[in-house]
Amino acid sequence: MTLLGIAWRNIRQRLLTSILTALSLALGVALVVATLVTGGIVNKAFESGSGLGYNMIVGAKGSPLQLVLNSVYFISRPIENVSWAFYQEFLPAASRPDGVDGKFAASTATAVPICMGDYFRGHRVVGTNAAFFNRLTRGDGQPFVFAAGKNFGDGDFFGGVLGASVASNLGLKVGDAFAPTHGADDGAVHDPFKVVGILARTDTPIDRGVFVNMEGFYLQDGHAKPLSEGETAEPAAAAHPSGHVPLPATQREVTAILLETASLPGLPAELMAMGLRTAINEGRDGQAALPVAEIRQLLDLFVRPLELLLLLVTALVVLVSAIGILVSMVGSSLERSRDVAIMRALGARRSQVLTTVLIEALLLAVGGGLAGWLLGHLLVGAIGPWISTNAGVSASVFSASPVAEALLVPFLILLAIAAALLPAIAAYRTDVAKWLQGPG
Amino acid sequence: MPAPVIELRNVRKSFITPGGETVAVLDIDSFSVEQGEQCALEGQSGSGKSTLLNVVSGIMRPDAGSVFIDGRDIARFDEASRDRVRADSLGLVFQQFNLLPGFTALENVLVAMSFGSSQPDRGRAASLLAAVGLGHRLDHKPAELSVGQQQRVAVARSLANRPRVVLADEPTASIDTAHQQQVIELLRETCRAEGAALLVVTHDRSVAEQFPRRIRLEDFNRAARSHVTQARPA
Repeated sequence: MTLLGIAWRNIRQRLLTSILTALSLALGVALVVATLVTGGIVNKAFESGSGLGYNMIVGAKGSPLQLVLNSVYFISRPIENVSWAFYQEFLPAASRPDGVDGKFAASTATAVPICMGDYFRGHRVVGTNAAFFNRLTRGDGQPFVFAAGKNFGDGDFFGGVLGASVASNLGLKVGDAFAPTHGADDGAVHDPFKVVGILARTDTPIDRGVFVNMEGFYLQDGHAKPLSEGETAEPAAAAHPSGHVPLPATQREVTAILLETASLPGLPAELMAMGLRTAINEGRDGQAALPVAEIRQLLDLFVRPLELLLLLVTALVVLVSAIGILVSMVGSSLERSRDVAIMRALGARRSQVLTTVLIEALLLAVGGGLAGWLLGHLLVGAIGPWISTNAGVSASVFSASPVAEALLVPFLILLAIAAALLPAIAAYRTDVAKWLQGPG
Repeated sequence: MPAPVIELRNVRKSFITPGGETVAVLDIDSFSVEQGEQCALEGQSGSGKSTLLNVVSGIMRPDAGSVFIDGRDIARFDEASRDRVRADSLGLVFQQFNLLPGFTALENVLVAMSFGSSQPDRGRAASLLAAVGLGHRLDHKPAELSVGQQQRVAVARSLANRPRVVLADEPTASIDTAHQQQVIELLRETCRAEGAALLVVTHDRSVAEQFPRRIRLEDFNRAARSHVTQARPA
């Protein structure tokens, strides 16, 4: 029988205590693993949304972080709108009614407008144009893929595209109609749009979005910018072949413009972006924010410290569990002393009994740790659908935080050794003669 | 002539009482047990029987003198070396059996093998238990065995590592009279079969009478004589 076998027997001898001890450790480790993995998922959620084929967001002046959170992640409220004329400053001559390049057109490769403010059953409605899905990417540099249907055309005023989570959560399919509400879920109901496409899952906030043609969006009640005093209404534009009359440009606004800055030969793209950003921010019409920088700042300032705090709390839980091992082993030390004395009398060396106690603690710690690791992943798997729905990133049993989880093993070993040290030393110092003393 | 398996020369051992008084427990000029010999060591309570066994088994170190086990003076060994001698050359049987309660009969024998120099041998452990009549109780834990059966497991365990000598401390004291004879016979037979010497410490004259050699501790332990004298009423 090996020392491992003896340690295992000792655990089985105190089965209930051993199970309870390992269980308390398992719960602690499960919390740590769940925290680590969900922390990783949160980071991934933010990082995945910072590379959707644009590197700058232009919107109303205010908090750049709010602009990014609202435009990229569909959380927080829009700051304000910027004028249609300002949006047109990013367009080339061919896309402008006056046939002249916009002020920022030379620095702009792509400019996609988005309009926000409506909801559909808890999901943000984003008014945009066909370029959103034709020109932007889904975060990994790859073009958007439609699981069903296709993108709406610019002339398809009441066409809509649904993110994967929206379609699956609401059970909508291509051809179904949906009517957004104004301002909030309980706001005034707008005209219905028709689902023309459903996106394949992107594991980004896009999965949570409802995208409609901004031409249809503009035609909803309350979406036309009121004319200011002295401003005259622009003559109505010619009707589109679809029969709808577009909203006049003077009554249009956009919530944000998603920009891919241009790169010129001999001029680094970053420099171009910085120059454009400075030019915009110095003006009065709006502000430019760099989503990657804003998100990095958010992660560094809030998310990581919060994650660290949570990890600290769960680490304390594990520490309490380790103290549980210590209490359990110290509690059984009287019983153990007799067993140790017997083994010593049979010829076991002090180092062997010490090793046996350490192995026992290691088995409890590693056993409890592995059970906790498994439990943690099952926990993440269980809340995975909720995370996917709300964060727009996939979370499953297999989601992992490999480096941190790998560190758990040496941590548990150290913890077990620390917890077992006192009982092990007690076993090491057991007085054989005293415990086995008979008469005479 | 082969060397004795146990030989004590000028062994002294004393303890300090909580009151600070030094009490001599062993004061032995010479004592030995020959190879394969079976002898009973009689002694009254307080005569130093347990201390003698602790010194012979290497659990305690004498204050002075030599303790030869199979020709090696273990009084000069460090503790780990004495432990190894105890594991390899000595078998111990206790009055309270001292079986590990969480282990089966077979595992109790295997545990003893774990501390010796040779690899644990499941087959030998099983055959030792079969030899003491417990071949059908290998997987029973001590609590599931009768008192007599527990002592049989202890006998089998003492022989696990093919010891040169088995030391038995009052092996029948916890057993009813009807089974005492059986245990002594079992001890003597198994030790003979294994070629091990047997030293049984007892205060029971009927047990001692079954051995070819009987020694009274008081006869060769001067410290015991003085204790006994002090203990007796004037």
